[in-house]
Parts: sequence; C-alpha cells; structure tokens
Amino acid sequence: MSDIFDIVIIGAGPAGMSAALEAAQQGASVAVLDRKATPGGQIYRDVTQSPLLDPSVLGSEYTEGAELVEAFMEADIDRHQNADVWHIGETGEVLYSQDNQTRRLVARELIISPGAMERPFPIEGWHLPGVMTAGSAQVMLKSDGMVKDGAIFAGTGPLLYLIVAQYLRLGVTVNAVVDTTPAGGVVRAMQYIGGALRKPAYLIKGLMLLNEIHRAGVPIFRHASNLSVLGESKSVGLQFEQDGRTHSVNADHIFLHQGVIPNLNMTRALGIEHHWAEQQLCWTPTLDDWGQSSIPHIAVVGDAAGIQGAEAARHAGRLAALKAMNKLGKLSEASLQQQSSDHLRAMKSFKAFRSFLDAYYAPTPEHRIPAASNTLACRCEEQTMGQLRAGFEQGAKDPNALKALTRCGMGPCQGRQCGHTVSELLAVWQNKPVSDIGYYRLRSPQRLLSVDELSQFQNIKPAKKPAEVSA
Amino acid sequence: MFRSLRKPETQSVSININGQMVQVAEGSSLWAAMALHGETQTRLALVSGQQRSAYCAMGVCFECLVEVNGVPNQQACLTTVEEGMHVCSQDLTEQSIAALHQKESADHE
Ligand SMILES: Cc1cc2nc3c(=O)[nH]c(=O)nc-3n(C[C@H](O)[C@H](O)[C@H](O)COP(=O)(O)OP(=O)(O)OC[C@H]3O[C@@H](n4cnc5c(N)ncnc54)[C@H](O)[C@@H]3O)c2cc1C
Ligand code: FES
Repeated sequence: MSDIFDIVIIGAGPAGMSAALEAAQQGASVAVLDRKATPGGQIYRDVTQSPLLDPSVLGSEYTEGAELVEAFMEADIDRHQNADVWHIGETGEVLYSQDNQTRRLVARELIISPGAMERPFPIEGWHLPGVMTAGSAQVMLKSDGMVKDGAIFAGTGPLLYLIVAQYLRLGVTVNAVVDTTPAGGVVRAMQYIGGALRKPAYLIKGLMLLNEIHRAGVPIFRHASNLSVLGESKSVGLQFEQDGRTHSVNADHIFLHQGVIPNLNMTRALGIEHHWAEQQLCWTPTLDDWGQSSIPHIAVVGDAAGIQGAEAARHAGRLAALKAMNKLGKLSEASLQQQSSDHLRAMKSFKAFRSFLDAYYAPTPEHRIPAASNTLACRCEEQTMGQLRAGFEQGAKDPNALKALTRCGMGPCQGRQCGHTVSELLAVWQNKPVSDIGYYRLRSPQRLLSVDELSQFQNIKPAKKPAEVSA
Repeated sequence: MFRSLRKPETQSVSININGQMVQVAEGSSLWAAMALHGETQTRLALVSGQQRSAYCAMGVCFECLVEVNGVPNQQACLTTVEEGMHVCSQDLTEQSIAALHQKESADHE
C-alpha cells in the first residue's frame, strides 16, 4: 500500500471524522491520524465503548456521537489510532509516533483538526497536586469511569456545569460550585441575543444544567472573584471573594475551568498565519469559510480553528473536505458551491450563537492576567508573574525575548499553559493590543521524543518510505 | 481518593506501580490506574523539586510525566496500561539532570 494519500486528516474528533467521511464519499484516498486509542475526539470520547454501565447519564449530546463514530469506523478510510503527530513538513509529509516508532505519511491535501484545550487558569496554587481542570474530570469519567467525591468545581462556562451535572446524576458528591461568571454577563450578552435565539435548544439546555445543580442542593457561589488555591504542598481548599467578603471552602480536590481555546501548537509550528480573536480572547488561525489556511495545501477545522463547538465542527469538516476535493481537481467549482451552501449557512448560525456564549461566559481578566507576583505563569519552568515582570523590565518586550531571558515557555508543555498569559501580560504592560505582541515561535517536534526517535527524525529525508524510517 | 464506576465485567491486567503489583482494568489510562491506587504523584517540579500531579488528563500540560519500563518522560494520561508494565513516579529535576550529566562526562574521562 502506498504511503501517499489525497487527503490526510489529523485528529478524529467530530471535525476530523466528518471531513474523512465526506472525502471518502467523494472518492478520495483518505488517512486519519489520531493520538487517542479510539476515535471520537473530546466530546465523543469512548462513546462506542464506554466503561459506564449506562452512558446515557452523560447526556444525549454525548450518546448521539456514536452514530458518527460508527459511520467513521465503517467507511473506506485508513484509520490510525495511537498515532501522535509531531511534525508536518512543508511538502505534505507527516511524521507521527506509534508504538515508540516514527512513521510517515505523505498528503496531497492536509486537514488539521486537533481540537481545543482548556484555557489556562493561572491563579495562586493552580500548580498544586489536587488541582485539575473540569475537562480532566470529564476525560477521566468518559474514558475510565473514574470520579472524585467532594471536589470543588470553579470557574465559568457551559462545560463546567455539564460535568457537575454528570457527576450528580452518577451519585458523585460535589462540595461546591464557585461560579466566576461576572454579574455583567447577561447585559454584555444581550446584544447577541438574536444569535442565541437561533439555537433555543442549546440555550435551554444550559439553563437546565444550572437548575439541575441547584436542585441537587450543591452550594453555588455566584459572581465569585479573586480565586486562589489554599495549601502548601497540595490543595486543601479554595479561597475567593463574593459580595466583598472573603470565603474559603475546604476540599482536597479542585477542578478549574474557564472555557476552551484552540490547540495551537501544530498550526503555530507550521507557520500558518494567526490573529488574536478579541471576542474569544485567544490566538486563532486565519482562515476562509472553508478552513483554508495561509498555506495552500493546509486547512484547519473544528475547535482548533476557533471555538464553535461540536455541531459546527461537523459542518466545518465537510466544508474542508469539499474544498480539498476541488483543489485536487475532483470536484468542479459549481459542485463545490452547491454542496457547500447548507454547511456555510449552518456555520453562520453557530457563529451567531457563539457570540452570545463568548460574551456571557467571558473569562475575567484577573484569572487570565494575574496581578499577584508569586502566582506561577509558567508551570514547567516555575516562572512567577514577578519573574516575568522583572524580565520585561530588563527589556524583554515580546514573548520570544521573554522566553530567552526567563525560560518561561521552554519546558515540556512547550508554552501550551503559559502562551496566552504571556501574550496578554506583555500587552497590558505596554498598553498595546495583544495582536501587536504575538506568540512564541514554535518548532517541531511538537512533543517530547525519546533519544531514539529524535535521532530517527534527524535522519529522515523527505523521500524515505516508512519501512526504512522505522528500521 | 478517586473511585471507579467501571462496569464489573471488565478484564484486568497486572502492572507494577512504584514497586507494588496491582490489578487494573484492561484499557485503562496509566494515570487512572495510578490514581485509583492512591499513587497520584507523577513528576517533580523541575526547579523547586515540589511534587506534581496530573492537571489536564488530555495531553497538554505534561504534569503527568512518569517513568514507564525504565523510559522517563512518558505522559501517563496518554498511555494505555499493558500487562507487566512497570511504572514509577519520576524524580528528575534540573539539579538531578545536571548531576547525571556531570557523572556521565566524568565517566568518559
Ligand atoms: C477536555 C475537553 C472536554 C470537552 N467536552 C465537551 C463536551 O462534553 N461537550 C461539548 O459540547 N464540548 C466539549 N468540549 C469542547 C470540544 O472542543 C468540542 O465539543 C469538540 O470536541 C471539538 O471537536 P474537534 O473535532 O474540533 O476536536 P476534538 O474533539 O478535540 O478532536 C481532536 C482530536 O485530535 C487529536 N489530536 C490532537 N493533537 C493531535 C496530534 N498531535 N496528533 C494526533 N492526534 C491529535 C485528539 O486526540 C482528538 O481526538 C470539550 C473540550 C475539551 C478540551
Ligand atoms: S495530565 Fe496533562 S499531559 Fe497528562
């Protein structure tokens, strides 16, 4: 079998699976690489092989994903799971690790859909054992049926309420919900109410979740601010302010969440053009309506292209596949336009709905751009806000200069947990827009490689076949 | 403690966590296997040497680095358990890595 494909897709979430299905239906040769053991992405994680007796407690938005995963498994697609992509070359070669070996594919057209990650939550003590993200609670539940009783859930956004409701339905106790959605959220969001009303079902679902939590008797602290984790060597509780009073709630486990942002490292390392999306307060690849990036043979879709959610990701995946077929000369311009129109219309209404959500659940500056000088900005190299400030005062005015001076962003996570904080801090300190500040310059490999794999990487010549590479 | 709601009929495999043989569900993530046995320490902070534990469980924070079958820096949250696997919390810090390099170059001379 050849290692050259018409279309290679990275990530088997709703975006990547939909792109693959469309491309396969249109007759392309398609390969999909995904780092997890099973397809589904974040939202549909392990939906066809849930460890839970009754996965329906996770909600219909979850179980409905089974249909997509099954269609993906049955289609004529070259599927590679446990395949962690860490380098994409300019001419379309894709290098990935599987079973501790480097393997290689070549793509004529690439569709990148590595999804989102949770926004960093840099508050005092967020690095302590016992502090995790709310998304992690969901990952552990979906993949391993593993739960933690008596935790605090803190932050804002629909995913936070969703996991709390899922916990409660399963009889898992929750100590408290500390909600940082600011009081002005409703007012800010009202200007986008038109968009929200186009998706009333989603709006109602969100309200129902909160109601469910309330009815279960879990204490909800609304409009909380100034969060900090208590504890020296591990978390023992959460302190916060509400109505001008300081509260603290004890818990050995705290799950934080303040929305999701695109998983940037792959698109950044590729040198794709990005911009600062003010509405979502994150860096986002600059793309056209079909997900086409600034590099001719590369499209980016799904939440990696800007947060739009799982339903929109399906349409975006199909659009990118149609466009790729057109670029490959396998779909006429007229057919492209005709087959795209429903998906384009759907994307538009999801965008309008997202404006409402983004305004309502906007993460507050104090939890994105912390002021306390001993709060860690960079968890890996343990650089505090104070140390970054000192680096800035020594002349490091942009993220790369600050990285060179302080080592922030140089650790194993390659800036994933501090990149946004650093861009925003430098913008505030210079009173400039974030778009003028930029982001870290990133390179391959996009993960830690063993010495063996790294030496293979250095020996790889673009023309080699996978068999020779892994020898 | 974390607890498991996994359905009962799941097959299990044996792995060694920090010197102790334990039974864990087949297909578990290594992080879940560790956490369910109370072994929540993964790596040490590189500079201060403080204990760390998993944060994201989805591959983007690198707090869950552990030693698997003698190979350090493996992400426990992205690793699936396998029969006979040996896993250790790892104690690499900038200091210990520097000491290791020093010893290696001394051995070469
Ligand atoms: C932890 C978490 C939980 C979430 N839960 C929900 C939820 O319950 N409901 C909801 O509506 N939304 C949820 N979301 C939001 C979610 O981003 C979207 O709903 C949806 O999953 C986005 O689809 P996608 O296809 O763009 O990306 P994803 O579904 O995230 O899929 C991306 C895929 O790419 C793979 N990948 C990433 N990098 C690489 C690489 N280098 N090599 C190979 N493969 C790679 C990932 O393993 C993943 O399978 C969650 C997000 C996060 C971060
Ligand atoms: S817990 Fe974050 S990478 Fe594993």
